Amino acid sequence: MKRYKLIAGLLLGLTTGVQAQNPAPAKPQTKPIVLTGATIHIGNGEVVQNGTIAFDKGIITQVGVAGTVTAPAGAETIDVKGKHIFPGIISLNTTVGLQEIASVRATLDYREVGEINPHVRALVAYNTDSEVIPTLRGNGVLVSQAVPQGGAISGSSSVFYSDGWNWEDAVLKKDDGIWISWPPFLAGTFDNETFTYTIKRNDKRQETIDLFKQTFAEARAYAEIANPSPVNLRLAAMKPLFDGTTNLYIRADYAKDIIESIRFAKEAGVKKIVIAGGNESYKVTTFLKENDVPVIVNTTHRLPDGVDENVYMPYELPGLLHKAGVKVAVTYADEWWRTRNLGFLAGTASGFGNVTPEEALQFVTRNAADIIGAGQQVGTLEKGKQASLLVSDGDILDMRGNVVQMVFIRGGKVNLDDKQKRLYNKYKEKYKTK
Amino acid sequence: MALAVYCHAQETFPRNGAYDERTGRYAFTNATIVVDPKTTIENATLLIEDGVIRETGKQVKIPAGTVTIDLKGKFIYASLIELDSDYGMPEVRRAQGGGGRQTPQLESNKKGAFGWNQAIQPEMDASILFTPDAQKAADLRKIGFGTLLVHAHDGIVRGNGALVTLTGELANKAILNSKASAHFSFSKGSSSQTYPSSGMGVVALLRQNYYDADWYAKGGKQKETNFSLEAFNQIKGLPSFFEANDKYSILRADKIGDEFGIQYIIRGGGDEYQRIREIKETKATLLLPLVFPDAYDVSDPWDAEVVTMSQLKHWELAPRNASEVAKAEIPFALTTSGLKNKSDFWKNLRTAIEYGLPKERALAALTTLPASLVKADNKIGSLKPGMLANFIITSGDLFSKDNVIHENWVLGKKFVLTALDAPDVRGTYSLSLNNQPAGKLQITGSPEKPEYKIVVQDSIKITPKATLANALLTLTYQQDKKTGGTTRLTGWLSGNGFMGEGVLPNGTVIPWSAVLTEKNATIAAADTAKPKSKETGPIVYPFVGYGNETLPARETVLIKNATIWTNEKEGILQNADVIVQNGKITKVGKGLTVPSGGRTIDGTGKHLTSGIIDEHSHIALFSINEGGQSSSAEVRMSDVVNPDDINIYRQLAGGVTASHLLHGSANSIGGQSAMIKLKWGASQSEMVVPEVKTIKFALGENVKQSNWGDVQRVRFPQTRMGVEQIYFDHFLRARDYATRWKNYNANAKKQNIVPPRRDIELDALAEILGNERFITCHSYVQSEINMLMHVADSLKFRINTFTHILEGYKLADGMQKRGIGGSTFADWWAYKMEVKEAIPYNAALMYHEGVTVAINSDDAEMARRLNQEAAKTVEYGGVPEEEAWKMVTLNPAKLLHVEDRMGSVKAGKDADLVLWNASPLSVYSRPDFTMVEGTIYFDRKKDEEKQKSMLIERERLIQKMLGEKVEGKPTQKPEATMPRMWHCEDIVGIHAEHIHVGYETGK
Repeated sequence: MKRYKLIAGLLLGLTTGVQAQNPAPAKPQTKPIVLTGATIHIGNGEVVQNGTIAFDKGIITQVGVAGTVTAPAGAETIDVKGKHIFPGIISLNTTVGLQEIASVRATLDYREVGEINPHVRALVAYNTDSEVIPTLRGNGVLVSQAVPQGGAISGSSSVFYSDGWNWEDAVLKKDDGIWISWPPFLAGTFDNETFTYTIKRNDKRQETIDLFKQTFAEARAYAEIANPSPVNLRLAAMKPLFDGTTNLYIRADYAKDIIESIRFAKEAGVKKIVIAGGNESYKVTTFLKENDVPVIVNTTHRLPDGVDENVYMPYELPGLLHKAGVKVAVTYADEWWRTRNLGFLAGTASGFGNVTPEEALQFVTRNAADIIGAGQQVGTLEKGKQASLLVSDGDILDMRGNVVQMVFIRGGKVNLDDKQKRLYNKYKEKYKTK
Repeated sequence: MALAVYCHAQETFPRNGAYDERTGRYAFTNATIVVDPKTTIENATLLIEDGVIRETGKQVKIPAGTVTIDLKGKFIYASLIELDSDYGMPEVRRAQGGGGRQTPQLESNKKGAFGWNQAIQPEMDASILFTPDAQKAADLRKIGFGTLLVHAHDGIVRGNGALVTLTGELANKAILNSKASAHFSFSKGSSSQTYPSSGMGVVALLRQNYYDADWYAKGGKQKETNFSLEAFNQIKGLPSFFEANDKYSILRADKIGDEFGIQYIIRGGGDEYQRIREIKETKATLLLPLVFPDAYDVSDPWDAEVVTMSQLKHWELAPRNASEVAKAEIPFALTTSGLKNKSDFWKNLRTAIEYGLPKERALAALTTLPASLVKADNKIGSLKPGMLANFIITSGDLFSKDNVIHENWVLGKKFVLTALDAPDVRGTYSLSLNNQPAGKLQITGSPEKPEYKIVVQDSIKITPKATLANALLTLTYQQDKKTGGTTRLTGWLSGNGFMGEGVLPNGTVIPWSAVLTEKNATIAAADTAKPKSKETGPIVYPFVGYGNETLPARETVLIKNATIWTNEKEGILQNADVIVQNGKITKVGKGLTVPSGGRTIDGTGKHLTSGIIDEHSHIALFSINEGGQSSSAEVRMSDVVNPDDINIYRQLAGGVTASHLLHGSANSIGGQSAMIKLKWGASQSEMVVPEVKTIKFALGENVKQSNWGDVQRVRFPQTRMGVEQIYFDHFLRARDYATRWKNYNANAKKQNIVPPRRDIELDALAEILGNERFITCHSYVQSEINMLMHVADSLKFRINTFTHILEGYKLADGMQKRGIGGSTFADWWAYKMEVKEAIPYNAALMYHEGVTVAINSDDAEMARRLNQEAAKTVEYGGVPEEEAWKMVTLNPAKLLHVEDRMGSVKAGKDADLVLWNASPLSVYSRPDFTMVEGTIYFDRKKDEEKQKSMLIERERLIQKMLGEKVEGKPTQKPEATMPRMWHCEDIVGIHAEHIHVGYETGK
């Protein structure tokens, strides 16, 4: 039984020696790179068999069937025959970079005190040295949105590459949106005596809704003032919501919450609205479509909402929305380390829902990019977009195929070493030398 | 009530004033006497004297000096008996509990030479605590009760009950039997002690208490004085009542009784119909409450969705419960306990009768049966000569809708509820106020309960408030709702009607009268509503939406032309067949033919595997952690299996056929695990695999309570250093214990010596030492894993499986050498300090080192896609696919020592099979069906049909509920209550301050 199948020998020469820190970020792309012979999953539904992709200065210059793409002068050509090339997975609605060890308070930076915190920014707390981040890109997650949690208005999220010296150069999109938590229509209370949950109408929600109404009205008025004095940091942070430069992300799961919150946001003058959660969004697809509101579905590897619900409903949900014409991204919600499995959520959505794997891929690539307003840079492997992509042994939506051999972020080749691989190699040595 | 007509004063008590002893001799003549549920005598006489029935019958000679009361048209019944009452008992203050905010209390705070646990109170004597309560007594008499069995509803062992009557006199007189019964429950009551903190802990405590009492009687008392055990031995032989409150608690209580040769009388919860077969098998007599839920307000379809099918169905079926219990020939008595409003008793009882409860059974359940249960059928419950004069006089058949109880006699003492001689004033009267015609007064209803209506100008109908007593009538009403003034009339019966004085809203005092124009006017009663159908939907097993009306049957099946993952040396067979018969796989091969009576399932293009076995699961359990002590080896998860958990069905839908249900990780030595087969709809005992004898241990942050907040710094151990000593201490004691029993059993003169005290905690540990029980140990970091391996080496016991074992890759060689298996997660890490060095290559490294590796869930969600988790071992470390698949099938079977029955597709093994639409390791794969022992419990097509039929049944029930709302019946807001989802780390009473997604799952 003492056989070791190296991960295709591509553990980047780090099979000996243990490095204590995360590896250095990728160097900027200095010469054109051409990857040939792979199955290229563009991310828009198209698949190119025996394809070639070329990129230079971080930008994709050509994609097509081998032979139709000519390598630019001075290009480094890498034969990846039999492999698969995918756009990097985009993981929205996470706490990646904001938390390291859940049970150690000192490592938690995602929840501020207070109810109205539009001014707190994930941007500046994002820790590029997190040991979790390298494990994500190892599974093809190349972009993560770090999102503040808690309160009625939680704060402002930013979107980062899974590689970088610090938040300043890792960031893909700064302050892309403000997150609010719509008070749920039904609320659970826990009874210690019987150890049961009781779920019923939430009678206290109107208070929060009124708070939103007042805050948004005052923020909108504040936004009309050119040079407000004194400055109100909270209201100032909300200004971009009203001119459409950032998203309003509304956490809402129940059908009534979804309708109510979207109507509220529209009336409040918010231009771009995204529903996050959306467990019951399949009931209100017509409304979502009419209002052109996309949905970020939280982890679909969850149990159904009620004992009588279709046992596969969470798995089917993204497909139901997609088929109804609602733009949908799949995420892990406020998780961090688990987001490396995001591709498998998409795979499950295809296996149990009425969508093809190529459609499901879009739930974690193109649709996610569009939602954060980065569709021009990432999300698909089309000419002119950034070369943020990966080469895998097989289908990255399947556990057995998701063996990532190469990752390029903005054209730079990323070192795929991580703490877990270092420990793996260390202990392989123990048993080999015994 | 304070003014008793005469008094059976106590002989020994001095009197204030002249003695007033009377014979109390009464004859009730011309009555219909229901002597007992089977004997009714018409036109009969009941003769009582001095609180006792002298004669009952048609030919009763009435002695001189008897007060004779003519009861023509009236009925006499024995008064009713309530067996579950806290009447006259002190109020129980529940312990401030839960939330884990208080410091653990490891020892009893009860003063005196009592037992160690506050919840065990056999010394509590209801007859001493008993203090009559005049108001409550009156309320109970109003319902018809004469005798009650009372006990203090506090604790697990609640001491003895007392049989008392509702005489309204001193306790000295009221008590019929001061030691009538013994009482038990699953509730800790006012106990503030930490142990027990779980359902299985309660069972263990009670079992241990029986053993301790036995030991005490056999000589233990020479070693210590223990008033609790002494009292327990005194009450042990009394009729024993167990408060259970729901169907599965009934079964749990009965199982305890079986162990000690005691047949408890068990108070149920009104949901017995949901498991009637199993409850009948207990042979227990039940106390049934008549508690029916109100309809939910389901007018808003989205609001209504929170209400589950089982709630909707229970609403419809609850009134049928008593009828179902009667139909199953289960003996039962009825109780008012559990009713928020005791006055609903008759309404609910009549409803139960409408739903098919025979009247005779109902009467027996309130009289003769309870009397015999408390061994008082020679005194109460029927009207034979010599019995106590405890009876009620009614206007008609006790169970008819308009029956009125006139009088309730207790020990020969009269309590009037509704006057016997009420005049019959029914009729239509012409009403005049201030000598002006003012419409009609209509009096309908029964003579005892007249109903009044004032009709003005034939169109305005007013229902006045009315009282009629001793021929005096008071009427108050609002003539005009808009102006709002109230007219008040008072008057008296006079000739052909009423007359008297009234006050108008403006203060004018006027004369008024009502003159009879038509006697006994048969005015159409409002009872035009057609009798509602008592038809109900079917009872399903288990009692949830996805339950089945009839359980799926075991089949004879040929599965043809599939890709079969055998997990045997044959490997993966292409285009192969499997035959299933009598719950077993009988043949695996090619070109097989279907046995007669069987059916063929086409497996073309599909993959057939043995079912997934989840080595670490907490589904289908009512509780999870007995965290009250550092060792809870005495608790058994099999005591708290919940067959109604929807996660059983959900996991079948993910290809799981068996789950190893573990105790949590709250303490170093947890409880005895239970393995279940996921037979959806079957009973607890049908699901549990009894030959699997395992126990949960735990190491690390949970057992040292690192993440439970600062109040949890009391219980030893608080460090990994302490954990080692817990094991040494317990196993050394267990070894010594085993030796003591061995010596005792070998002693030829053992009859003459005190036996060792039976200790069910040490029993379990001794089984480990004897290699009869296998350890699954929750573990993370290498230091502690190494420690436990060394402890086991030195004390010569075996560790079967390290579960979680996230650093197993660091010690895989040590595990392999000792034959210890590793049951791990595919890729979990980063949620707490002790998982910082967890790596997804763990399974692969252990596998390559020769360790038997399983991938488990510890999570109801992950369990339904364990095939995907297994596939991750292919991604991380390149485990071959067949070997990866064994990690969720054959390997857990090996770790649980059931590989001769489960874990592979092989002739002779259990037919636990899954047919997948693709390779089971593919993310795109899903089960077509999941079979357990030859029965298909999940079928994808049937599941789709089921969802449709559930919608129809749901809508039928909702329409029925909406009808209730229209009729103005009370409704409740939609809500649902569900048991908490369990994980390893969930502790009763403990909540981590910073519960968070990954962390909360407690892996």
